[in-house]
Amino acid sequence: MMDLEELDEVAVGAAKRLGVDDAVAISSESADSMIRFANNSVTVVNRVQEAELVVYLARDRRKAIASTSNLGPDAVKKFVGDLFASLKGLPESEYVPLSNTKAKFAPSRLGYDRRLEDVDRELPAMAKSAIDSSLRAGGKRSAGVIDASKGTVAILTSAGTSGRDSKTAITLNIRSFAEGEASGHGLSCSSALKRFDPEGAGRRAGEGAKSMRGAKEPEAGKYEVLLSPTVASNIVETVAGAASAFSVDAGTSCLVEKLGKKVASATFNLTDHGVVEGGLGGRVFDDEGTPTRTNRIIEKGTLTRYLHNLTTAKKRGVGSTGNAGFVSPHPWNLEVGEGDSSYGEMVKEMKRGVVLTSNWYTRFKNYRSGEFSTVPRDGAYMIEGGKVAGPLKGMRVGDDLLRLFSSVRLLSKEREWIQWWEVDTPTLCPWILVDGVTVTRAYG
Amino acid sequence: MRTQEGKDLAEAAVSVAQKEGASYAEARVQTTWEREFGLKNGEPQPSFFVEGFGIGIRVISRGALGFCATNDMSLRAVKEVASRAVRLARASAQVLREPVLLDSTKGTRRSWAAQETRRVENADPAWLQGVLRDVEGRIAGERAGVKLPGRLLYAAAELQERYYVNSDGARVTGRVPRVGFFGSLTAIDGGSTAQRHIQQAETGGLEVMERLRISDLVEEEARALGKVLRARSGPPTDVVDVVLSPELSGIAAHESVGHPQEADRVLGREGAQAGESYLKADSLGMKIGSPEANVSDDPTLPRSNGYVPVDDEGVPGKKRRLIKDGMINEFLHNRATAKRFGLKSNGAARSVSFDREPIIRMSNTFVEPGDYTTDEIFKDVKHGVYFKSYTEWNIDDKRLNQRYVGLEAYLIERGELKGLVKSPVLEITTPKLWGSVKARSRHMEFEAATCGKGDPQQGAPVWTGGPETLLAGIRLGSR
Repeated sequence: MMDLEELDEVAVGAAKRLGVDDAVAISSESADSMIRFANNSVTVVNRVQEAELVVYLARDRRKAIASTSNLGPDAVKKFVGDLFASLKGLPESEYVPLSNTKAKFAPSRLGYDRRLEDVDRELPAMAKSAIDSSLRAGGKRSAGVIDASKGTVAILTSAGTSGRDSKTAITLNIRSFAEGEASGHGLSCSSALKRFDPEGAGRRAGEGAKSMRGAKEPEAGKYEVLLSPTVASNIVETVAGAASAFSVDAGTSCLVEKLGKKVASATFNLTDHGVVEGGLGGRVFDDEGTPTRTNRIIEKGTLTRYLHNLTTAKKRGVGSTGNAGFVSPHPWNLEVGEGDSSYGEMVKEMKRGVVLTSNWYTRFKNYRSGEFSTVPRDGAYMIEGGKVAGPLKGMRVGDDLLRLFSSVRLLSKEREWIQWWEVDTPTLCPWILVDGVTVTRAYG
Repeated sequence: MRTQEGKDLAEAAVSVAQKEGASYAEARVQTTWEREFGLKNGEPQPSFFVEGFGIGIRVISRGALGFCATNDMSLRAVKEVASRAVRLARASAQVLREPVLLDSTKGTRRSWAAQETRRVENADPAWLQGVLRDVEGRIAGERAGVKLPGRLLYAAAELQERYYVNSDGARVTGRVPRVGFFGSLTAIDGGSTAQRHIQQAETGGLEVMERLRISDLVEEEARALGKVLRARSGPPTDVVDVVLSPELSGIAAHESVGHPQEADRVLGREGAQAGESYLKADSLGMKIGSPEANVSDDPTLPRSNGYVPVDDEGVPGKKRRLIKDGMINEFLHNRATAKRFGLKSNGAARSVSFDREPIIRMSNTFVEPGDYTTDEIFKDVKHGVYFKSYTEWNIDDKRLNQRYVGLEAYLIERGELKGLVKSPVLEITTPKLWGSVKARSRHMEFEAATCGKGDPQQGAPVWTGGPETLLAGIRLGSR
């Protein structure tokens, strides 16, 4: 197979010879190694090694994007030729030319660890460490997954912008079960092997499972709710999605007409980073060859910007924020600003509340209004008078995003990188204490 | 599909894996072809094309399962990947306590293709945009009687072809063309908004789009949003009967019957992701509903979105009666879970692409039709609520505690539909829901959906559906 730069050159060269106005080639190669386990036993090991070429072409305001995994030089030329031919059948659409700055991107030094390049043989021992740690902490059986990935992306545009960037990441998601329904959850997410802590995640899952024995259903009502970094990241990600100018333009975002307005309490800050120390995602350039950067989305509770690509930015008379997506801008690495409380201080502040450590199945009644509900699972605890009064089960949490983030009272100083089954965008997140959240339970 | 090249590579992969010491090996070569077009508030979005070709190899060595995939389709690379799958499986045996064994299903030799009249490869961008222009023309500019400032419309056509081979003698070639539509409508009236997501898809060629009558459907949904925005009455707070539309019957069947009856969940394999199940291995024969509760999953339905006549372990699919007359009757199995239960697989293993391992999935999950006409179902309701469509929904990971928020919903009084009811909430446990089924109509409808499961995630195309289902003695809202 050609190397990534050669692939891009073949694709963009073919496109230019055909007479396109703009062409972008983004080639990538990745290797993902995974071990999954359940009932303290490995269930499968996976290794997926792939390469892909994505091509964007524009001619006479007609635009198309295509991806292929057939990467021989002749195949790529034919692929570009077919894509070019298809443009004739397309209607004209919103079009903004690519930047002609001819940027040359060098790989970021952040977020790449050579020790993660070939780690698949070490995964069984790591899984065993997590399982054993959970057992020692009180878990009886554990299920989980360790995923180690490395990826390189190279870009070339017809305007002459070029470069490459690489990332590594390793994550563990472990869930432990004790007697009956009692379960606990642990995560460890890192871009570097030295910060990866399977033993710690296993211990948290085991302790959580042990602490959940004898859980009871709460009364329905409004509660102070303390969201763990895991739960908070899941909800924060939906706000960042709502900040995509594509969602705003499509009328599906709860942040429509909110620019410059209060959308959260003054203690809440949300930032997106193209690349950042410790970040598990992102790269130094976006899909249109714009340099990625740090963008403050919510500053002291005020919505300060939407996330843009060239097309959405031009409609609003601003510049791209380096978040393309050819179609829809998206965040790379989210960061929720730290507070000044400890977890223990936050619990002490709660008169009648609920602590949630994990959740799943967040669904929206209406993305425009921001109304949603989510289902807590694993460690969940009733707090009365600043103390843990016992474990909880069988509940659902509902709210709307703007009310929830406007009711943030405290954030912890301690933060954690989160990326797992329920959180796609890596997020550095603290514990977040929110007032007046609705808790319900089902009729049975 | 590059048929012979793919077949040769798959055969070579299985051969190498066996030589390396695998007690079982399989390979699946799969091509993917997709064309998609979108309109955002009438503005054309960039057309999107996908062409993929790769191989997934799964082996058992020393009782451990290994899966490797690549799209480097050189013989050298495929042999290396097959060999690596065996080495990785063997190395993982240090954490193995429950060896993977397969049932005794004999290898199937079969070539199959979903029915197709007009070949899906003819879905060029002009045809796709024509479909959407027609839809847009029906709803833009308040033509459907409601302001729709958010209109996202997508039409897509795809083709998946696969060649599957395993060391137990299976040789299966499959072709799945699929055509579908997705739309998201946001309606506004004064300060109120309402939202509806519409998904329809079938296996087949270009004729699917005509069968689906998308323009009529979307216009109808847009008009319904206008009505929903004008609804003022809250749902009743006393005990009522509830009529679930085919759409609601289908999502309930999928979420609270199909998922908990996936045998891998029952055995704990999805514990860290999609969760486990309220059912245990010995729950077969347990009473979960009234005698009227009957739910099935059938991968053999012609034209269906979840059409899988032979699964991705080479096992012929067949109809599964999940709940029969109120009793837990059958789980969804692959070859490994079937072996654990002392059974043979019922053909529920699916993979969405070459780089994903096959896991247990639903296909088309539905409440079985009953004996009543739709009119008869409503006629018997003295005081109730009809859930015609829903918005928000979710369920806990053991599949016991679910919630469906009605979008278009009506009060029923003495057998007649009265005014719209605003956002009724059915938050109910699984035994209560299926234990309340009093009657089912003969009228069946299906919706397309994308079911999420697995790690890495696999979004599998399915149908959900059923008749009008009458639930007796329900309290709406939550406690």
